[in-house]
Amino acid sequence: MLKKILFRNSTNLQFIFATLGAIIGMTALLLSLQLIMDVQSFHSNEEELFGPNSVVIQKKVTKFTSIGMNSTEFTPEEISALEKKDFITDVAPFQSADFKVGISEVAGDGLPHFYADMFFQAIPTRFMDIDVNWDWTSESEYIPIVLPRDFIMIINYGFAQSQGMNQISEELLMAARLTIHIEGNGKKEKMIGRVVGFSHKISSILVPEPFLTHANNLYGNGRIQNPSRVFITTKDNSYGELDELMNDMNLDVNKSAIDVAKIKTIIAIVIGIFGIASVIIMLLSLLGFVQYSQLVLSKASYEIKTLVRIGYAIQRIVNTFIRQLSITFGLITAGSVAIMLTIKLLLVNPWLKENGIAIAGSSLWITLIAALICFLLFIASNYINIKKAVNRLGSE
Amino acid sequence: MLLEFKNVMPFPLKDYQHEETSVWKRGFQINFPKKVLLNASSGKGKSTFVSTAYGLRKDYTGSVLIDHKPIQEFSLEAWIELRRTRLSAVFQDLQLFPELTVWENLILKNDLTNHKSKEEIDSMLDLLGIGDKHDQVCGTLSLGQQQRVAIIRSLLQPFELLLMDEPFSHLDEKNASIALELIAKETDLNKGGFILTTLGSHHGFNYDEELKL
Repeated sequence: MLKKILFRNSTNLQFIFATLGAIIGMTALLLSLQLIMDVQSFHSNEEELFGPNSVVIQKKVTKFTSIGMNSTEFTPEEISALEKKDFITDVAPFQSADFKVGISEVAGDGLPHFYADMFFQAIPTRFMDIDVNWDWTSESEYIPIVLPRDFIMIINYGFAQSQGMNQISEELLMAARLTIHIEGNGKKEKMIGRVVGFSHKISSILVPEPFLTHANNLYGNGRIQNPSRVFITTKDNSYGELDELMNDMNLDVNKSAIDVAKIKTIIAIVIGIFGIASVIIMLLSLLGFVQYSQLVLSKASYEIKTLVRIGYAIQRIVNTFIRQLSITFGLITAGSVAIMLTIKLLLVNPWLKENGIAIAGSSLWITLIAALICFLLFIASNYINIKKAVNRLGSE
Repeated sequence: MLLEFKNVMPFPLKDYQHEETSVWKRGFQINFPKKVLLNASSGKGKSTFVSTAYGLRKDYTGSVLIDHKPIQEFSLEAWIELRRTRLSAVFQDLQLFPELTVWENLILKNDLTNHKSKEEIDSMLDLLGIGDKHDQVCGTLSLGQQQRVAIIRSLLQPFELLLMDEPFSHLDEKNASIALELIAKETDLNKGGFILTTLGSHHGFNYDEELKL
């Protein structure tokens, strides 16, 4: 009966607008939150879209380099200058082999007969963009090797055809062992190696750092070499500064790495703007609801005053309002979650799938908790507002 | 319940020439249960008196005390508790819910106090001659009928003091007497008292005390 008295005069138009606003705002908020989490779980070619922004930098080879007038090596001074840049959080020079390397097949492992001169480089494990078994000790059965993904393309679609060789699949290459020929410091050695993965980001032939250190000590010719390639990790959204640095130092950067950094920044900005807009819509609809309850309160002011005069407790009157609003907000929250899920499952997920982006099924829990927090925020702000108003009316 | 008015002067009445016998001049102190008549002509502040004692008006100088405590210091919660258990009122403007039926108006109060059974409420309605209006919306009743609903509502709670502001102004003498008889009976059941303000008629009743404005 209290409900009948208190909501008798409430108009529906304002209520409908406030409800619509709340549903739109909340859906947008939940959707952008869910999208941010989905994007974070993107894995395209083993690279995390929101993982660390690591890029390889090297100096451009110019005609002066070729005639020996300038070097592509990074001096220790240049490396410490890189370390001092604000937007660079990590610097690691590539370590190069100080000995001759060649590879050939291991007979019987399915690879055609071949021999190729090679080189080895190593980087700290934290910069590896793929997850492979990268441990090496002097007792290890084989040396793990990571090749650039492009390498196998060059072999299969260029080299193999021109040489009349069979093409080899990634799986075959990874299954087969390789003979590693090492020559340097007056010694020659054969070892077994195995390709354990393909890197999208690093166009080099990588071996574990401990192995290269060990081999350089044994077979190195003792030349002190400055690194010619350096791995750096930049802060998010700093590709502008990176661009500037490239121009200043005449650097060459893996283009796709820069593109990924750009895409990351753009996606982050787009979702961020969407998120901020939805927060604003939410706040406006919250305001709309506070106003709506203000309106209901002022239209029911006679009833509230009279109820207090005949002995009704403030809390009981407030509870009547809150119970009613809780039902409304509950439906709004549930509706928003349902719409968000529908959009995600029927529109976003198929689109991502069509475009070849796999989502590692990010959890809904955080979004649901966010919805609950919105719900509680709505109730709390209305509760405070209604309690204040009923107290004021009751005291009149 | 001890009700005391000490030098109480409502702002709207302060420029008015009050008689020496007026409550506004000499104050009073009554220890209820007592049945009191407050007799005054129009404009002397009967409604102001009731509203002040009921804690609705605060625009006065001096102090009103209930059981020696100044009522201006009562919290809203204390007032609500007081109005549910010790102090009841019939307002001049009745303060009913016009969109609710007679029965809903009464149940709204009785649900809060559980003071009377449904049968008792029904017999009160019959006694005051509005038993057939049970399910009629209050807003459609005549003022006299609404007054009787308001009177019954004021009796649906325990009270030590019942304040009534011209409760019979739209009733004929016969119906007023029946209503006053019911009020007196319920007052005695509650071991309480009342203050009845009127424009002059005694409604044929013997009061314990009489106040003037």
